[in-house]
Amino acid sequence: MPVISTKDLTKEYQSKTFSKEKILALSNFSFEVQSGEIFGILGPNGAGKTTLIKILLGITFRTKGDVKVFEKDITDDSYKLKVGYLPENHRFPSYLTGEQALVFYGMLSGMSKKDVKKKADEYLQIVDMEKWRNTKIKKYSKGMLQRLGLAQALLNDPELIFLDEPTDGVDPIGRKQIRDLLMHLKGTGKTIFLNSHLLSEVELICDRVAILNKGSLVTSGTVDELTSVSDTFRFTVSETNDELMQSLLSAFKATIKNSREFTIKAVSGEELNKLIDFLRQKNVMILGVEKEKNTLESMFINLIGSQN
Amino acid sequence: MESSGEEGVKQLVTGFEVGMINLSYLLVITFCFIAVSSFIPSMLEKGNIDILLSKPVSRTNIILAKFLGGVLLIFLSLTYMIGGVWIILSAKSGYWNFPFLYSIPWLTLSFAIIYALIILIGVTSQSTILSIIISMFLVFVICPVLYVRETVIFSLVTNSTIQFIINFFYYILPKPGDINQIITDIITGNPVKSYMPVFSSVLFMLAALSLSIFYFRRKDY
Repeated sequence: MPVISTKDLTKEYQSKTFSKEKILALSNFSFEVQSGEIFGILGPNGAGKTTLIKILLGITFRTKGDVKVFEKDITDDSYKLKVGYLPENHRFPSYLTGEQALVFYGMLSGMSKKDVKKKADEYLQIVDMEKWRNTKIKKYSKGMLQRLGLAQALLNDPELIFLDEPTDGVDPIGRKQIRDLLMHLKGTGKTIFLNSHLLSEVELICDRVAILNKGSLVTSGTVDELTSVSDTFRFTVSETNDELMQSLLSAFKATIKNSREFTIKAVSGEELNKLIDFLRQKNVMILGVEKEKNTLESMFINLIGSQN
Repeated sequence: MESSGEEGVKQLVTGFEVGMINLSYLLVITFCFIAVSSFIPSMLEKGNIDILLSKPVSRTNIILAKFLGGVLLIFLSLTYMIGGVWIILSAKSGYWNFPFLYSIPWLTLSFAIIYALIILIGVTSQSTILSIIISMFLVFVICPVLYVRETVIFSLVTNSTIQFIINFFYYILPKPGDINQIITDIITGNPVKSYMPVFSSVLFMLAALSLSIFYFRRKDY
């Protein structure tokens, strides 16, 4: 069941007040997020990622297109009871303590004070903020604010969680804890919509990823689909010599990485087997053959770089 | 002798209370404007409004809650201050002037009328400074000038078109000066000449609130 679905979603902004000039933030954007998955949205600055999240949450209004959350159009506000949101650079009232902020936002989410207090205890412990619960927010560091923001987003036990740069300002250990928490939430059937610039992090935890550029969907798929390069194979062999190198370069158009590694673009399995036979004839020991994979980062840079 | 002494005490207490109301009107309401003028702009700051609008609360209710919250805050502050002064003054003098307490809801109403304007400016401009400047300019410059239009302005300006325009603004804008006069009349026991300034000011408040809600419901954040 799709938890989020958009069809031909378009958003235009006025470039300036009273100006007729429009800026296209999203252009005919269609996608779906399935229940129980961690979905990552990637794109350069100004690609429309935050606009998309804001439209899904009713913070910004669409210009045209269909938007459904939990299979209902978002004009019906009731879906927000089942949603949690951590915005980028969020600001809580600085005069409140961490616990008071959670009580305030929890009650806005439709929870009773008793339930909020109970859940606040649980989530302050999970995000490792229990000892700071009675400290005023103005004294919090960036990482502590982020942890409190995460607790706020999870407090009402939402089925769908929007996280905009959740690990921003958090130290590596804290990032690992947040990743583990997200994986735990996924295990309990929650759907997570993640916007992060840390591609290595997205690669680690996301089931599916969509890449946005200039308001349009460039590509989407599972991390494996997006990072595998279909026809390039990496060979790891025992020591080679110059003569063998020359043969590899001329006959197989290999790309030599070093004396023990090279890659080849195989047009067919037959060609791949021909190379293996050639290496065996030359008494070269093959230590490994694997389909080359890009990192999400290199794929992203290649894809966006070629478009801009 | 005793009767004229009691009358003197009554006059002294009433005079003090009227002075207190004028002081409240000038100082307390001014400080209250400054205190509440940041409510809306700070709520609309990026990162704050995002969380608020992601909650299952309608935009209309957010504005109404901010309005009622601000009004309640001022009502409680005025109750504490005026109620405290009334108790001390009455206990010391032995003269319990109950109409003085009516000034609490009336001053709260005066505040609510201008607060609706502060909300409208806050929602449209997202600026605390602009909210303070415009509301102060209205309360302490425009409204007093319009209040004395018949006694002062019209003796200087005889053109009927300009007089019509001035009258037009008098009727559509809030009338804190007239309301202050009504409060004074109630405390001193004088008959109130007309409640029109109250009705037209309340209409202004409702219009400002409606416009704020209309704008806030359509705005992208």
